[in-house]
Formats: sequence, C-alpha cells, structure tokens
Amino acid sequence: MTTHVAPGAPGRHQATAPAPLVIRQRRTPPTPYLLLIPAVAALLLGLGYPVYWQIVTSLQEYGLAQQFGQPPKFAGLDNYAEIFGSSALWAVVARSVVFCLVNAFLTVGIGLLFAMLMRAVSTSVRIIIQVAMLLAWAMPLVAAVTVFKWLFDYRTGVVNWFLSSIGFSGMDGFSWLSQPLTFFFVATMIITWMSVPFVALSIYAGLTSVPEEVIEAARIDGAGGWNITWGILVPMIRPVISIVLLLQIIWDLRVFAQIRLLQDSGAPVSETNLLGNFIFELGIGRQNFGGAAAVSIFVLALTVLISWPYVRTLLKEDAA
Amino acid sequence: MSTMTADRIHTRDVARTVHAPNASKVRVGKILLGALGVVVAAVWAFPVYWMVLSAFTPNALLRSKTPNFLPTHATLSNFQEVVTGSGFGSALRMSVLITFTTLIAVLAFAFLAALAISRWRFRGRKSFVLAVLFIQMLPAEGLFIAQYKMLSNANLLNSVIGISVLYVAAIIPFTVWMLRGFVAGIPAELEEAAMVDGLSRTQAFLRITFPLLAPGLVASGVYAFLQAWNEFTVALVVLPANDSQTLPLWLRGFLAASVNKGVDWAQVMAASTLIAIPVIVFFLFVQGRMTSGLVSGAVKG
Amino acid sequence: MKMLRFAALGVAATLTLTACSSGDSSDDNSAKPTGGTTATETAAAPEPATITLWLNGGDTNDDLRKYLVDEFAKENPGSTLKIEQQDWTDVVTKLTTALPDADHTPDVVEVGNTQSPTFTTVGAFLDISDMYDELGGTNLLQSFVDVGKVDGKNYALPYYFGSRYAFYRKDIWTAAGLEVPKTLAELQEDVAKLKTAKMSGFAMGGQDWRNGISWVFANGGELATESGGAWSSTLSDPKTIKGLEQWQQLYKTASNLPSTERDVAYWDFLNDGAKGAAPEAATIMAPGWARWSIGDLVKNDKGDEVRDGMADDKKFDIFALPGVDGGIAPVFAGGSNIAISAKSKHPELSKNLLKIIFSEDFQNMMGKTGLGPANKQYVSSLGDDKFAKTMIETAASSKLTPAAPGWAAVEGAFVYEDLFQKIADGGDVTALAAQYDAKITPMLNGGKG
Repeated sequence: MTTHVAPGAPGRHQATAPAPLVIRQRRTPPTPYLLLIPAVAALLLGLGYPVYWQIVTSLQEYGLAQQFGQPPKFAGLDNYAEIFGSSALWAVVARSVVFCLVNAFLTVGIGLLFAMLMRAVSTSVRIIIQVAMLLAWAMPLVAAVTVFKWLFDYRTGVVNWFLSSIGFSGMDGFSWLSQPLTFFFVATMIITWMSVPFVALSIYAGLTSVPEEVIEAARIDGAGGWNITWGILVPMIRPVISIVLLLQIIWDLRVFAQIRLLQDSGAPVSETNLLGNFIFELGIGRQNFGGAAAVSIFVLALTVLISWPYVRTLLKEDAA
Repeated sequence: MSTMTADRIHTRDVARTVHAPNASKVRVGKILLGALGVVVAAVWAFPVYWMVLSAFTPNALLRSKTPNFLPTHATLSNFQEVVTGSGFGSALRMSVLITFTTLIAVLAFAFLAALAISRWRFRGRKSFVLAVLFIQMLPAEGLFIAQYKMLSNANLLNSVIGISVLYVAAIIPFTVWMLRGFVAGIPAELEEAAMVDGLSRTQAFLRITFPLLAPGLVASGVYAFLQAWNEFTVALVVLPANDSQTLPLWLRGFLAASVNKGVDWAQVMAASTLIAIPVIVFFLFVQGRMTSGLVSGAVKG
Repeated sequence: MKMLRFAALGVAATLTLTACSSGDSSDDNSAKPTGGTTATETAAAPEPATITLWLNGGDTNDDLRKYLVDEFAKENPGSTLKIEQQDWTDVVTKLTTALPDADHTPDVVEVGNTQSPTFTTVGAFLDISDMYDELGGTNLLQSFVDVGKVDGKNYALPYYFGSRYAFYRKDIWTAAGLEVPKTLAELQEDVAKLKTAKMSGFAMGGQDWRNGISWVFANGGELATESGGAWSSTLSDPKTIKGLEQWQQLYKTASNLPSTERDVAYWDFLNDGAKGAAPEAATIMAPGWARWSIGDLVKNDKGDEVRDGMADDKKFDIFALPGVDGGIAPVFAGGSNIAISAKSKHPELSKNLLKIIFSEDFQNMMGKTGLGPANKQYVSSLGDDKFAKTMIETAASSKLTPAAPGWAAVEGAFVYEDLFQKIADGGDVTALAAQYDAKITPMLNGGKG
C-alpha cells in the first residue's frame, strides 16, 4: 500500500503520459478505476437492490401480508433474537458444517487418489479415466440428481437390485432417502461424484508440472514409489491441493439445489435441511421473509467469521 | 498433452533402467493399476451410461424389477415424445442465450476487474477485494423476492437480459477472484519489456499477456458456464412464463408427477440426456486448456 | 357450420346469462341495481386484451383447455386467453411472487383448495361475491366455497373436486375369502391378513397425510379448530390421537411402502407386474381419476399400450372407505379452487372467463373427464356407474384441511409429512401430537414456526 495518494495532492496528469515503466510505484492513475467500472456496475445492478432489501427486511416483520401490500412493521432485532433462540437453526448450522467438511475432504481425498492413479497407468487407460471424469463433470446438476434418484429408487433402483443380488437381501426395497443418515449418504455420493472430476483433473495437471528431474533424483537416491509420492509429489503440489480444498469448502457450504431436489422425493425435510434449504423453506415455504432475511445475514456473518483467518493471510500476502 | 506423454515415457524408461531386476514386478503392478483404472472409470461413468440407456428403453420395461444392462429393446420414442412434447426448442434457445450472455459478460467484466486489482495498487482496492470475497458468502436463497421485484419493476421478467443481470452479479465475484491469480502469475515485466521494444501498452497486453491468460479465461469460463447452465431456482422465480423456461425448469416439469400421472422415468432420462449433450460438447471444445489453466492459476493464487 | 355453432352457443350463453341475471335480481333486488344492467355493462365494458390463466399440473386436459380458449375468444371478440401450466411443487413460490405484482400477475389462477385460505386472507384475490349467485351460488361445493371466503365475502370458488376411495384387487380379496369391509376396524383386519412380503395389503406411504387424515376424520377428530379468530392445532385431542394410532397400525400391519413415500402413484401397485407378476398391493386409496391408470394393458387407437380402466370387474373393484361405525368415512377431498387476482388489470374479462368455467357446458365436460364439477347440479355428468356413485357419495361426506391463514405455511414446510413419517416409523403418537401441536399452532395463525 505504498501508493496511497495524499488527498488534495496537486494533479500531475501530464507526467503520466510517457508510459511509466514500473506502474506500481507511481501515484494511482485512473486506469484501474476504469477497469473496475463494469464489474462494480454489474454487481450493483444485480445485487444492490436485493442485498439492500435483504438487510431492511431482516429488521422488519415481513410475511405474506406484507408481500401483498400491507406496510411492513419495523421489528428491530426481533427476527435475529428469534432465530438465535431457536434450536432448529443451530442444528442446521452444525449439520451444514459437518456435511460441508465431510464432502470437501472426501472429494479432495478421492480426487488425489485418482490423480495418482492417472499418473501411474498407461496413456490409454489414463484417457479412459479422463473421459469418464469429463462425462461426470459435464452432467448438469438437475440431470445428475435425477439419475441418482433413479439409481437409488427403492422399488426399481439398480443399487438395491445389485445389493440384494450379491446377498444383502434386506436391501430389496430399502428406502435410501427416508432416514437422514442414508439421505446424506446419497447426497454425498452425488456431490462427490460431481466434484471429484474437477479435483482429480486439477491435481493431475499439478502432478504433471512437477519437474521430472526432482523425481529422477529421488529415485536414484533409492526412494521407492511410496516415498516419492508422499515425500515429494504431494508436498510439491500442496498449493493445488489447498486451493481445491478451499473451493470445495466454499461450494459445499452452499449446497442447496441437490438437497432440495432430493427432498422432493420424500425425505424428512426438517431433518435434512442445510442452511440454504432452511432459508428457502423459512421464506418461500413459511412466508416468514423477515426471518429468512435475518438468517441469510447471520449465515453471511458466520461464513466471514469462519473464513477470517484465510482472508487475513490473503490480505497480508496482498499487501506485501 | 504430447509433451506430457513424452515426459511420462521418459520417466518409465528411467524407472526401468534403474530398477531393471524388478522389471517383471513393475509390469504386474502396472497391469493391476491399469485394471483398477478401468474399473474406476467404469464406476464413474456408470450413472451417465445408465441415464442414456434408460433414455432408450421403453417406460414399461424400465419399471420392471430386474434391470436390463444392455440396450436390447432400444427405442427412440422417448426422445421423440420429449422433443415434440412441450417447449424443448424454446427452453434450449433460452438456456443457450442466457448462458452465453452471462458467460461473455462475466468473462469480460471479471477480467478487467482482475487486471485492475492485480496490476495496480490503488485506494479502494482492498475494499473491492473484500467485497468480492464476502458477496460469495451471502446465501442466495433469501434473495428471490427482491430479485423478482427488481426485474418486475424494470419490466425484465421472462427476459434473457433480466436473468442474465442476476447471474452475472452472482458469478462475477468468484470469477474475479479466480482470474486475479492468473493475472498476477504473469509477470508485468514481460509486458514492460515488450513496451521497451516499442509496443504500445495495449499492443503489449494483447500480444504478450492475453495469450498467456487464455487457460485462465477458459477455466473461469467453464465455471461460469456450469453455473448459468445449471441454475434453476432463480430461473423459476423470474422466468414465470411457460415459453421462457430454461432447460433445468423444462426437465423439472417431467419430474413433477401430476395428480393423475406418475413420473415417466424413460422420458425424464431422455430429457436429462438432451440437457447433458450441449455441456459435453462444450467441454470437448475447451477440455485441453481447462485443467492446465486451473492449476497455473491455483499454484500462483 | 362453424358460424352456426357459434351463433347457437352465443344464444345459449345469452339465455343462461339472462336466466341467471333474472334469478339474481329477484334474490337481492333491494341490495343492488338489477343484475340485468350489470350484465350489459360488463359485456360492453372490457377493452380487448389478453388474459392469463394459470392451471396446475395436467389435470385440466388439452380438450378442456382448448374449449376455454376458443370459447373465451368467441365471447370476447378481440380478446384472447393464454393458459400457462404450473407445477404443483412450485406453485406457491410463483404465486407468492407474481400475484402481488400488478404488471405481471396472472389474471385467473387455480390454487389447491388447502392453499386457498392463506392467499385469500392476505387479499391476493378479487372479491367476487357479486358473481357468486350467478356462478352457481349454493349449488357450488360448500366446503370449497368456505375455504375461499373471508368475512362473508367470496374470493375463491371451487374449480373441481376429486374424492378418494379405495381401489382393490377383487380377485385377491376373493381368493383370501374376504369381502368388502363394513367398518374401518374390519378393513384394518382384512388388509393386515392380505399383506405378504411382496404385496401390501393396503399400500400407504409413511408421509401420506392427505390419505392418512381420513383416519382422523373417521374417528371424529379434527386437525385444528378456531375460536375467537385464533386457530389452534388439535392433534392432542383424544379422537385425533385415536385416528392417528389407527392409521399407524394400518401402516405397520398392511403396508410395505417406505415411510418416506408421499401421495404417490399408488395405482402402479395395483396393476399386474411385468410379465404377469403379482401386483404389489391388494388395496390402495386414490382419487377417482386413478381408474384410468388401472386395469389390464390394451392397445388404444393410436397403438399405444394403455390401461383399460378396470374393465374386468372380477379383478378390480372399488369401495368407499368405511366409517368407524359403518357407513362412509369422511375423507380428505382433493381438488382446487379458482380465483381472480386482486391486481388483475382485466377484472371484467377475468369474470367473463369464470362465467365460461362455471357454465353448464364446461362443468359437464369436466365431469366427463372424471373431475368432480364444482356445481352439484352437474355431477350427473360424472356418469351413473359405480365410480361416479362412489365419488359423489364420498364427496358428500368429505372434509377439507383447516381454513387457517397459515395453512399453506404448514404445507410449505412439510410439517405434516414429517409428523406422519415419525408416526409411521413407530413413534409415540401422544408425544408427537403434543410436540407438533406446539409447532403448528403459531404457524396456523400466520406466525413464525
């Protein structure tokens, strides 16, 4: 942040004309602001009003009657008090966090193993794996959830057929979506299935960028495949792993549509809601829009809090 | 790709020369790993195979309790019914228009913003970076009412532009954040050197920096594409008219069993297949760039 | 030919209108200007425009829709009717956003009968009390009229009804030496005997409260009651508990379905399986129109395989759910209401559409497709076979969910689905009832749950 311009410093626009070689040591030219205009405008246009509405509504008693034109009543922090007081919210928060972490680590773990596998096999097998990954990755979300619902259908699903034909006769007609635990098992399958390809392909690309000399040197020193993998490769691609892990955590905390689509086929809704579903249900389902807005803002605050350590390192690196 | 393969072969040769006595052991291991790889690929592709297979199976057979793993009764009638049935054409058109409008706007805007925050230090930069990070954390599920009101007042319900505005705002933050890593990864010195050689700033940028950024743009583009293509809850609210439905909404229509009609799974699978095809085509186009791009951004980000 | 029919219909329409109007004016002559004047005014007033009608699901079939569109265009020269189909799963979301929006509201909407009170109480619909008599008055199905009424004014009127009765495999029942049960207790015993590992005696999903509440009603229980304008959930009422326990017993002893199934396409279960395999249930409960999904496979004119609508009466038959002491149990009446959006810019045209919907022709057409017509004068259009008779009988003793302002919120949050699943999973009914009463009562009054 060495470029802070003292407010009111005399303008020297002429001086910037002969293109400065090292941009960042000069005073701020207007260029970066111009470059930001489209993005900021798009954000303000698309999110400005909704976010403003969200904040205002979270302080109001806003239900269906208000939606149909009755003036909303200012309620202060009542909505917040109410959500903090309800055990339902905390259950959902805990469930979401656990679900998010399990999925993120599982996805990255499987992705890492697949990347290692791709590295170890011959080119033709690798291409087969890559094509399979690509197919799963390209599967649109609604279609993917639909296919899994169909695979896990209790009557005619192929999973139950397979399990009962290999001897688990109790699985014939087993209803996966009826208990929260098996419901989340299916949800986890869907989410890992959809996101492992991204992780595996990214990590694999990271592996290919590890210089061969490093591996050769280790091999000559007598290191076995295991030691090379865990002692050299994994540490070298740590940046890739940590970034995909972070992305998975952010995305898995926002899981909404998969759960909602699965709930459509009859899961115990109140016990399978994640944060997004909870907000949706509170707002659209129960027409308590004030409460839903308050929960949204609470979730924002919570996420900021959780990610604060990361944000701080990011800002520090940035300032350096 | 080809250089990677060459490297790989090279590695294998090295492995073989160094561990000559173990060559047969290595080979057995390799075959086992290869078999494992094929199994993994088969398991991962199975849901897709199952979807396509079901799409070609008559519905009456699909409901039988013993599954059929081969297309022995293949029929095109599911696809015919789905395509001629209700609004596939208009849904495809809407989805393509919305996705590409969003994609182009997101890439252009986010790229410029990423350039600004990674090449310049300026007042307000930190606030912008923080805002971009935090906006991603706001749950979208509470915004529907406001989004509807906003588009309704602007008379943009049921329009490509209206929903694209919402999508662009929702997708830009992450894209800026992702691209920032890529731009920062390309040393400004490269550009400056080119400028010393007599190129203008714009020329230097277009000839030197832009090509290096292509993988990053592809990677972010894939992200934006998938987001816009898959979204259905905002679409449900701000595209209420039947003829402005997008593909996910169209597919959802097949899933909602009406009171007097069960779900026709064969048609649902045919519809799902039709929605997946454009994405697979898109991925085939950008495939090579995609993953290498993800990594170079990630490593430097 | 077309012109002639048009003219004839026009005349018929005028006649009906005049008849209604005169009836109208004689009824409440003193209260307002004669209906005759109103009729001429409304006929002349509306500017030509396009109005939108939202229908849910595919129950209003293409023939009915075409009739509405054509008829509307004929009676309102220059105006057109646009029908948009909505899904039941998302309709509350869309009504919540679109109805308050004057610029984009649909003009006429179909709402589930249980969703009516919620939207009616917040003023989403236009007061159509002035047309009430013209559209059928006391001939309209009163339980549906009541859920669309606030402070004595009519906002939503019945669109169609369906009532539920039992469909059973006569061949299987006969083979087991069983006859149609006379009381609910007998039914419980019979279907428990019929249950095998592969076949439900009575197919009932664990979350299927829409069928399940019939057991509550049969035992004289209520879901909620109103006193002094405040609603309270009455699950803990001894009669309600008795009904819920009886339903729990039915689910446990007679049904093989998972406790997560909702009101599913039960009729699949009653049909023979692929290649002549035994059916998956001996008895189901479903709305009358399920008949057309049941039976043996036959080819229709187009060559597609379809069910024959239970043609073999030795194999398939029906009975009305018996009451606790015999007779017919009150069942939950499915169906929906229809209303004009309060924000509609074309109230006159919308009213004209309602006139078509409540016309004798359209009511009879609905009856012929198996949807119970709103006006009881026309229920004979359902036919006079056992299906029609049972449907009319059960409808006469049918009940609706409470007309509480917050009922849609209860449905929107799937509270009853959760409750019934817990009961089906063997939960203690008394404890669950107390727990859910506490949860539901504030929701019923439009508060937060």
